[in-house]
Amino acid sequence: MDSPNEHPPTDPLTKNNLQPFFVLHKASKSSESTARSPRKPSKRRLDSSPKVSLNNENMKENLKMEAFRCVWSKIDSSIKDVLRSINADVFDEIGRWVRESFNAICSCRGPVDTSKSSLPYPFVHNGGIVRNLFTGLVFTKNIETVDDILTFAELGLNLKSRGCYVANISSLDFSTKNGIGGCLRAFLRQLLMVDIEAADVSLLVSWYSDHGKYEKPVVVIIEDMERCSGALLSDFVNMLSEWSVKIPIILIAGVATSTDALRNLLTSHALQYLSTSTFFLKSPSERLDAIIEAVLVKNCAGFSVGHKVASFLRNYFLRQDGTVTSFVRALKMAIVQQLSVEPLSFVLKFLVDEGDNKRSCCEDLADMSEELIKHAFELPSYRTYSVNRNNHVELNAMSLCQGLSELQRLQELWRSRLMCLHEAGRYHKVALLDLYLEALDPESYNSRLSNHDRDSAKDKSLLSNNDKLFRLQKAEVTNQVIRKIRDLPAAKLSQLLKSWERLTEGTIEVHEKIIELQSQMVSEDVKSHKAELTDISKRHINRCRLNKEKDACTSNDKAMTLAGQTIRDNMLPIECMPFHELICFKDVDNLQSALIGDPRRRIQIDLLNFYKILKCGCCSNSGGTLSPSMHDTSIMYLLAQEYGDLINLHDWFQSFKVSISSSGKKGLKKLASPKKRKDNTYSQNNSDALIQARFCRAVMELQITGVICVMARCGGVTDELLNQNYVKEATRCHRMVKII
Amino acid sequence: MDEDEIEVEEFGFLRNYFLAKELGSSKKKSARKLSEIDLVDEEELREVAANIEPKHEKEVNDLISSYKSLYSEWLFAIRCGFALLMYGFGSKKALIEDFTTRSLTEYSVVVVNGYLQSINLKQVVITLAELLWDQLKLQRKTTSGSLSKTQQPFNTRSMADLLAFLDRPDLEVEECFVCILVHNIDGPGLRDSDSQQCLASIAACSHVRMVASIDHVNAPLLWDKKMVHTQFDWYWCHVPTFAPYKVEAMFFPFILAHGGSAQSVKTASIVLQSLTPNAQNVFKVLAEHQLAHPDEEGMPINNLYTTCRERFLVSSQVTLNSHLTEFKDHELIKTKRNSDGQDCLCIPLTNEALQKLIAEINLIEFLIQEREITQQQL
Repeated sequence: MDSPNEHPPTDPLTKNNLQPFFVLHKASKSSESTARSPRKPSKRRLDSSPKVSLNNENMKENLKMEAFRCVWSKIDSSIKDVLRSINADVFDEIGRWVRESFNAICSCRGPVDTSKSSLPYPFVHNGGIVRNLFTGLVFTKNIETVDDILTFAELGLNLKSRGCYVANISSLDFSTKNGIGGCLRAFLRQLLMVDIEAADVSLLVSWYSDHGKYEKPVVVIIEDMERCSGALLSDFVNMLSEWSVKIPIILIAGVATSTDALRNLLTSHALQYLSTSTFFLKSPSERLDAIIEAVLVKNCAGFSVGHKVASFLRNYFLRQDGTVTSFVRALKMAIVQQLSVEPLSFVLKFLVDEGDNKRSCCEDLADMSEELIKHAFELPSYRTYSVNRNNHVELNAMSLCQGLSELQRLQELWRSRLMCLHEAGRYHKVALLDLYLEALDPESYNSRLSNHDRDSAKDKSLLSNNDKLFRLQKAEVTNQVIRKIRDLPAAKLSQLLKSWERLTEGTIEVHEKIIELQSQMVSEDVKSHKAELTDISKRHINRCRLNKEKDACTSNDKAMTLAGQTIRDNMLPIECMPFHELICFKDVDNLQSALIGDPRRRIQIDLLNFYKILKCGCCSNSGGTLSPSMHDTSIMYLLAQEYGDLINLHDWFQSFKVSISSSGKKGLKKLASPKKRKDNTYSQNNSDALIQARFCRAVMELQITGVICVMARCGGVTDELLNQNYVKEATRCHRMVKII
Repeated sequence: MDEDEIEVEEFGFLRNYFLAKELGSSKKKSARKLSEIDLVDEEELREVAANIEPKHEKEVNDLISSYKSLYSEWLFAIRCGFALLMYGFGSKKALIEDFTTRSLTEYSVVVVNGYLQSINLKQVVITLAELLWDQLKLQRKTTSGSLSKTQQPFNTRSMADLLAFLDRPDLEVEECFVCILVHNIDGPGLRDSDSQQCLASIAACSHVRMVASIDHVNAPLLWDKKMVHTQFDWYWCHVPTFAPYKVEAMFFPFILAHGGSAQSVKTASIVLQSLTPNAQNVFKVLAEHQLAHPDEEGMPINNLYTTCRERFLVSSQVTLNSHLTEFKDHELIKTKRNSDGQDCLCIPLTNEALQKLIAEINLIEFLIQEREITQQQL
């Protein structure tokens, strides 16, 4: 088998290797013929191709790509919609404030005199000089600015649509290296649409008097104010304030910490010109909840993740990264991996399509090769399902299609029940993320089922329904939410029932029960109301009240029982459904390794466990202890483990020499006795030069990986030792290598 | 946070304590010097190193070949908009170039050798833009569209302009991208933050896909979250190859070669620069003596004092002693007793290194004088 390293030349002196960059190849002409046209409907492609052609790798790739585009564009747009709607209120508020500020600027500005427009201090109504700069502080509630890049871009668009000139400037433009000119350039580039080397405000003024005609405000958005250089920002504020009436500039700054940030950053001179207002964005966990609801729970694209993946994503968000951006990235990665690993997962495309396209799913599946169809029926989930049900169906595209629609139906049920729980949880501020995670857990579902079976076998009178309900293991948050339904006041309960009614439309049985419960509550209400009106005797009223409370209790209990029951009956986690492998991503390890590379750990493990990766017979037997057959760099690294922070090069070299020359299991013990080492007659297959060269190369490789760094001198504990050698023979002074 | 810091600090102290103990007890062993080894010439070393017979060649080849099964997954990730980041022990140059030659044939590929010392990223971006332009022209021909012909040549455009071209949202053809392959994106020529920012902006362009490799364990420290999540958008691939770092190590010095003298000349010259001109001259007197009398054990202190007085470098023994203490503190000189029982001073450098050092100090002195003269003239 030819190895890849035979193809490109590996001679270090090859011209290409010494060039900073070169063109490896240009796009081949085949790309024009196969240039992808994703917008074309896939159906034609599928129809026109005979069954065999699906085996063709290219076709498979195209199907995968198409499915990815469909699924991801759907998810991406719904995420953007969610974020847009979550910010809508704040954006409205900001828009109103911008308008008000603009009006305030206009009101203090006198009649416009274009002949004087190029001078900073302007024509002011009352003769005074106004240098007020209206500043909106947008608190992001998140120290990671990465999530808010999109928010501020959206804010910019939103303000543009409200008739403002907008420039988005990031902290990178406020670097001390470029000076004030840098941020001004970025500012002008966005407004004037030209790249100007010598940026000057007067350019902006003349542009504004030509284009703006003093009718629109200019909004400058700085995404991450805290990261800007304070001195530069102060200068910028000073400069803008000088022109603030002539060009109605309004500043909007993203603040991650608190209002103190402004005081810490700006000089008091600049600070006095700011007239600030504050706005608050939603917190990252609120945004994440909204995204999960829109994408994973409401399942806008048919794609789903398994319990382990979901808990990994949750933990990564809560404990490590804390940004919604990385969550979205992980989701995208999961889709890519699902489509890469599961050949049939392109069916996701059919689940995204709505209406007529859905019907074509069966036709499209019918066009697929038998091999692929067979693959679907060999999935573990289907096997378990068919064994349990003793189910014998014909293994063809039709039954696969039915299986898929059944999968969707069950998903729909699961979704509506989860949303019911979420509605109930809202009253106690329970995060959807937690409920979602528990609802995905196949173990907790199975334990719920087994508990139920056991309980129903027992004498029913011994256990009340409620007790049975709470015998759910693991699902703590779910239990809590259900239990708290009992404490809901009547008004909230009826509100909850109303939302349940909406959510359970389609499942007649549960829907009916909810309506029954609602009508029961209404009739009780009417009864007590009537009683209050007609019967004035106090005793009766008291009794009515008592009854009412009792009834309320029973309604709450009934609602609680209903919730428990419907969860047990209908909330089947996706991993318990047949064919779920096609649309549900479960490979958490793969996702984790693609999402979070861990070079620091992995490279060191590569060196220590190289024999496991290389699978060589000679070193595997030694089980990690030194043997001459090992990779030189691994030997060196293993030897380095024997030392502390500092390694004596001489000793290291000698140890290495012994290790590669010794046959059999000789190793570290030998290294401690240099005298013995000297006496040792090496099997002189390797010349000294070769050993030295191998040693040098191994040290270089360890330097490249960064696990050691070579030091000329060392301070601290080794000073004494160093002095002796350094003075005696400085050119070959005993050098130390530091392990980091 | 505070508690953690304290814990870390405590751990550090404990560790240092035991290390010091350990080193103290094994003083003899650790004091051994490289000079005890019969070192071969650097040239010979390099020659031999170039022809080292690889170990486990078959297994390494098998391992690298086994990654071929991942090519389709990688290609798919690239097409979906991710950038591949290869890491793991061993040179990944051949593997990645093989992947790009086999799987990315439909896209133009530019290779950047990050292991080299200096790389002009602007030139890289210009090449990328030209390639994209060519690719677009080809595709337009087939789709009978037309691109605006009034194009400013790319090499006269600004970086922002070029990046804007690579990120053009208005191109009708989807999935038209050029690929940039960066070997050692953590290499010496790209390690500064400006280069990384620039690479991040390149990677973020909609018509560019990046494949890169890292070798250093701490490479991720080069990037902040914005770069990682929104610009590079890395898809990490752990691909240890155990292939020798032949090309990447081209510019690394051989640790057993005479590289040491360069290092000590450099440190000594830095120390000397920080001293007064008189002190420097005293050192020069000592150095000249040592060069003139290579066989002697050193310069007797009395002789040094006399010569320095003659040249008006010191006025008294006290001044000379203060200079000498300074030299000793910085390990520039050593005191020895010669056969006559006199205290002698010597510089612990070879003659060759000493000559280099003197030349370096003279040059610096000359430059300083030049500058002073120019300033006076101005």
